[in-house]
Amino acid sequence: MMKISLDPRTKLFMIFAVSFIVMVNAVTPFEWGIRIAVTLIPILLMITEGKYASAFRFSLLYAAALILLKFFISSESTGFISAFLVGYCGIVAQFMPAMITAWYVIRTTKIGEFMSAMQKMHVPDGISISLAVVMRFFPTIKEEYGSICDAMKMRGISFGGGKVTKMIEYRMIPLLFSCVSIGEELSAAAVTRGLGAPVKRSSPYELRMKAADIITIAVFTVFTGLFITVKYIR
Amino acid sequence: MINIENVNFRYKGSGESGLHDITLNIADGETVLLCGASGCGKTTITRLVNGLIPHYYKGELEGTVTVNGRDIANTELYELASVVGTVFQNPRSQFFAVDTDGEITFGTENIGMSPEEIVRRKADITEEMGLSPLLGKSLFALSGGEKQKIACASVSALMPDIMILDEPSSNLDWKAIDELKNVIREWKEKGRTIIISEHRLWYLKYIVDRVIFLDKGQIAKEWNKAEFSSLTTEKLKEYGLRPITLEEKYIREFGGDIFSDTTENTIQYHTKADDIRIHDLFFTYTPPKYVVFKKKLTAENSDDYTLAVSDLSLPAGKVIGLIGKNGAGKSTFLRCLCGLEKDCPVKLTIGDEVVSGKKILNKCYMVMQDVDHQLFTDSVVSEVMLSMQDEDKERAENFITSLGLSGYENTHPMALSGGQKQRVAIASALAADASLLLFDEPTSGLDHKHMETVGELLKRLAVQGRTVIVSTHDPELISLCCEYVLCLEKGRIKYFRQV
Repeated sequence: MMKISLDPRTKLFMIFAVSFIVMVNAVTPFEWGIRIAVTLIPILLMITEGKYASAFRFSLLYAAALILLKFFISSESTGFISAFLVGYCGIVAQFMPAMITAWYVIRTTKIGEFMSAMQKMHVPDGISISLAVVMRFFPTIKEEYGSICDAMKMRGISFGGGKVTKMIEYRMIPLLFSCVSIGEELSAAAVTRGLGAPVKRSSPYELRMKAADIITIAVFTVFTGLFITVKYIR
Repeated sequence: MINIENVNFRYKGSGESGLHDITLNIADGETVLLCGASGCGKTTITRLVNGLIPHYYKGELEGTVTVNGRDIANTELYELASVVGTVFQNPRSQFFAVDTDGEITFGTENIGMSPEEIVRRKADITEEMGLSPLLGKSLFALSGGEKQKIACASVSALMPDIMILDEPSSNLDWKAIDELKNVIREWKEKGRTIIISEHRLWYLKYIVDRVIFLDKGQIAKEWNKAEFSSLTTEKLKEYGLRPITLEEKYIREFGGDIFSDTTENTIQYHTKADDIRIHDLFFTYTPPKYVVFKKKLTAENSDDYTLAVSDLSLPAGKVIGLIGKNGAGKSTFLRCLCGLEKDCPVKLTIGDEVVSGKKILNKCYMVMQDVDHQLFTDSVVSEVMLSMQDEDKERAENFITSLGLSGYENTHPMALSGGQKQRVAIASALAADASLLLFDEPTSGLDHKHMETVGELLKRLAVQGRTVIVSTHDPELISLCCEYVLCLEKGRIKYFRQV
């Protein structure tokens, strides 16, 4: 599968547009149309990344959520099962598309490119570096959390002996300890390599908007524009 | 030129003094090795030179440190970036980027180098260190040796005159150490000044010009190259240092047999009745694609799996060393064996009992490389009792005493030293009544004395009837305590034999 390479700025815009359209409440069929069209984009993104099975599973879940919302849930539904279903549909239809888009962006953007894009948008270094560290920390936290959960499984305390507070305590305290110490060592390593120098950071990435970027931005602008017009202006 | 004049240093909030009256001059182009027990002040000296003391780690500092004529106390860290480069001990916490390319160019971006120059330097470094197969990869997918290379490249891209390496070989296999040695040698040939703090000495003996032995924050001894290479193993032991020459058979074992191309699958072991048998240990990082239900891993497709051990008998009550190259699957093997990989269909026969699935977790216990992840409570005694089915304080205290931790019963585990934490983890393993104890690289980064303590402890556990499997790159640990070695290559057993 050919991969599309987009400019980080385009990707940022994509996250905002998808999140806005998908999360704002849709009422009329036309609004729903736009929303479904926009949701197809994360599915396409998963396919370009080779996650066919996940794309297929998500499509199924999404279709199920749409059917449920259309035929079985109304503003009058009450009771435990419908509460559960509303929760399910909300998560799948409103949050998942945005989350998949964010996953795609984090997966395909190199930190160097991201920093370069932030510089082009004249974002201060302080902010872009903090965001870069956050991006870098996601996989680290995942790794650390994974090993802590393993250790808990091995000791048979995954459920904290039945106490919710213990369950949280056993997970969070070692995680905080290790994140703090990794953070400290990380910044020591970064300052010895010149981070914080009072010069403008440079970047080896020459970012240029290409045809794919312009098309993507145009598509999302049109969708967002239509959505806002239909929902708030007309 | 590095001048350290009469330096005393004490870390903020620490009772003991970190360094005591250190005077050390290092000439341009010299390669200096700092050695000594853990906590002797090796790392603290490197921090004086790279400016992390006093700019990052605070404390009481007396005396002056000058590097290439700059007074470190009055020089900003970013000005030092292209003068002193540091490769830190733990690759996990020194990478800023998540991809190799970004990491290599990180320093050059910080000092605002022009894009053309950055690209040129990256190309030079890639060429020089043979990094092209690693470019464009995620740092999280690299093996220990590869991570170390990227760390060296990233520092080297700033072209500093002075290179500092803090215990660079801790997580490396034999071959990766050899490559590291070549990198250091190349830097030396270019006339760079190199300071290495290290416990493993054998790979450095032909490279270093001078060796500084530190004891309790003081320079206790200084050797030149000739004096150092003539030190006997007994003499080194007196200083608590690891040997500088290795026994022939371990060179063969670690340098030769692990890396030989023959993919023979030789098991030189006659099964006995009380053996622990492992069946169907399969694991793959690329699971077969599925739509709704996961497919089970079976022996038929085992050729495609990352890890496949279909049948293996291990002697009970012995210490078994698990060796293999970086990335051969040692850690994954241990994880599967103790039941942490849900998709692994492993079954164990222990005595008359066959265990599989979640029950394996009760029979096996792994002491992880990073023990911090394994300690959950606020005192040593409750940590040990947490593992017990029925809390029995007396029994817990017995375990604590037998591991030499008495007096620390009510201490917070996080306040202990690394070695003590490891022993707390072992005590909780004993309390959990596991019959199979697994250790993942328990001696990486330990000095001679602590390594010996761990070795003795493992032997003692075996005598008490527990079966111990220890994955390691450390030939000294193997010679100290292992009766058998199990060598893995590409997730398959390469050989299993008596030492």
